[in-house]
Amino acid sequence: MDDKSKNVLALGIVVVLVALSWWAFWPLDKKISQGLDLKGGLSVILTAEPAPGQPLTEDMMNRAETILTERVNALGVSEASVQRSGADALLVQIPGIKDSREALKTLGSTGRLDFVDARSITTTSVALEYGAVLPEGAYPESAIIVTGANVKTAGVTVDQSNRPAVSLDFDKQGADAWAKYTTANVGQTIVITLDGVVQSVATIREPITDGRTMISGSFTADEAKRLAAVLQAGALPVKLTPSSTQVVGPTLGQESLKQGLVAGLAGFGLVALFMFAYYRGFGVLSWFSLGAYLSLLFGIIALLSRAGAYALSLPGVAGLVLTVGVAADSSILIFERFKEEVRMGKTFRSAAKSGTRHALITSLNADLVTLVSAIVIFIFAIGPVKGFALTLALGIMCDLFVAFMFTRSVVVLLAESVVSKAPGLFGVKGGQDG
Amino acid sequence: MAKRLYIDFLGKKNLFFAISGVLIAVSIAALLLKGLVFGIEFQGGTVMTLKTKPGVTAEQVRKALETAGVPDARNATIQTTQDGSFLVRTSESDPQKAEEAFLKVVDELKLPEQEVTVTTIGPGWGRSVTRSALTALAISIFAILLYISVRFEYKMSLTAVLALVHDALIVLGIYAILGREVTPNTIAALLTILGYSLYDTIVVFHRIRENTRTLTKKTFTEAANDSINQVLARWINTSLTSIIPVTMLFLFGGETLKDFAFALLVGMISGAYSSVGVASTVYSVWKETEPRYQALRKKQAGKPAKAS
Repeated sequence: MDDKSKNVLALGIVVVLVALSWWAFWPLDKKISQGLDLKGGLSVILTAEPAPGQPLTEDMMNRAETILTERVNALGVSEASVQRSGADALLVQIPGIKDSREALKTLGSTGRLDFVDARSITTTSVALEYGAVLPEGAYPESAIIVTGANVKTAGVTVDQSNRPAVSLDFDKQGADAWAKYTTANVGQTIVITLDGVVQSVATIREPITDGRTMISGSFTADEAKRLAAVLQAGALPVKLTPSSTQVVGPTLGQESLKQGLVAGLAGFGLVALFMFAYYRGFGVLSWFSLGAYLSLLFGIIALLSRAGAYALSLPGVAGLVLTVGVAADSSILIFERFKEEVRMGKTFRSAAKSGTRHALITSLNADLVTLVSAIVIFIFAIGPVKGFALTLALGIMCDLFVAFMFTRSVVVLLAESVVSKAPGLFGVKGGQDG
Repeated sequence: MAKRLYIDFLGKKNLFFAISGVLIAVSIAALLLKGLVFGIEFQGGTVMTLKTKPGVTAEQVRKALETAGVPDARNATIQTTQDGSFLVRTSESDPQKAEEAFLKVVDELKLPEQEVTVTTIGPGWGRSVTRSALTALAISIFAILLYISVRFEYKMSLTAVLALVHDALIVLGIYAILGREVTPNTIAALLTILGYSLYDTIVVFHRIRENTRTLTKKTFTEAANDSINQVLARWINTSLTSIIPVTMLFLFGGETLKDFAFALLVGMISGAYSSVGVASTVYSVWKETEPRYQALRKKQAGKPAKAS
């Protein structure tokens, strides 16, 4: 393949990718997820502290995560999420919440998993079934047979008729209490509650003397898995304290987004204007480069959004606005180098070839340094700063791609045709037609 | 094309050193004497945004905070934002109490009904944020040193980092002088400046290396100065296109975005200057001390000076 076909091919690839990106990110407000600082809601970072003298283990964090997920789901808000954030913290995000005080109370409580005798539950206002919320003090302490602290392991298994079931094993103390109770109360109903929310209602079929218990019934595989996770997690193994709590009203968030967009558009417009004023025909080319660059960046962000790996935050908006400058920089390096080589007396054709190559090497070195610091911030920083660094890093990668595939190819192609016919339009003089 | 502008940048090295010296001295003095004001993110506390109505003064807000039982309400900072809201910072570190206080203040002052907008940071959080930022800073600088040393040479990497430290000190100095609050966003901006400030420096260094590979007819300083002049348009234009969007962010962005933009703006301007005023200048002075460039200088001194 000759050079010309290669460049045309590169252009073709960019055009296809830009089209794909548009398909991926349009309409923007639907395809790119927004962080809670833009969408509004409650965002809490809970830091875990184990009981004094105990080390914080991975297992504790996993259990805390499971329990928090249950609690957040119990709040009945859609799209709420619980994520690990570093070694000792969990990030809980609840969009569009009305009363965040209630949510905060629920999230931070130590939590308790109780196995209760159904007869002792005096409330009649709620039916005893999964998800029912019992009022505080619905049963006396004495009605608790065993607690989550007594659960040794819990897992998913199948019963005799091959249906999903949950297996459960108690520690010594728990097994003893369990044996005593089940022996005396065959046929009775047990209610398992987590923080007052009914998790399971089961009937005792036979005395269980060794602690090994199976809860079977009409579980689906997912339900069995969920119950096993709850039983396994039990009560919170660690104390969770909110280290950063942010409540943002939805209107305010959208307002900041709007301000960011205005700033971004104004910045983009002025940069475009400057590029045209200084580089003329090449300035117009840089508009397309910037356009292709932003399209690809939004495309990647939309894909990551869909995968749940990206949510645009306010610092992310800052990162986006900032990368407009970076993207223009690589065009400038290419144009300047080309003009310089033409001034040195090279033909347009060879100036374009060697100029773009040299410029790209400079651009690569300069961009890589920015990329290195963006990646380091992404890895080591915590909190909102992460979103900023990720946006910046993605921006730099898109910029390098566009500079190499698009701007370079177009400059080389133009140099062989239009530039030599009307060099004035491109702000270059001299340069014999090769 | 008209005769191109040629500026003897490196000949003005004493001017650059004087400017940078004064800026650094003032920054360090401000940091030592005035110190930095750290945001609530570092010490724990609450920021709330209160939409207000005409006629409500900051003093009334403070009174209402006191009535609402906010500890240390006397020392709360109450700031008016552009869109006429109050930005209130207190030392309350319990999120539930902070939200209650918010609702009470709205009630007490009969402010228009509004969405709750409160951020509360626990006391330990700042330490983790600072630690992670410092780790990122140290590793960033190390990675940059390593990268430039491998791609170029260690004298370039050290002078480039010297320019970075120069920029960071000036940003922090300006924060201290203005009494502007340092937030995690400021730290993120500072870390980003590392990368940006280097962009121009690398562009200049690239050219210096290209022009000094086989140097026989000029002194190192002359060649370096030619290099700066050759990339002058690049240097100015790339700086401008980076500064323009950040200026827009500073003018039109909301409170959080302004916060980023301010640190970035100061850092970028300083970075644009320091890539020539500090990095290239110190690098050339350093390279001139190498025996082969000293020899070259002696050889050149015998001939009549000639403009390139």
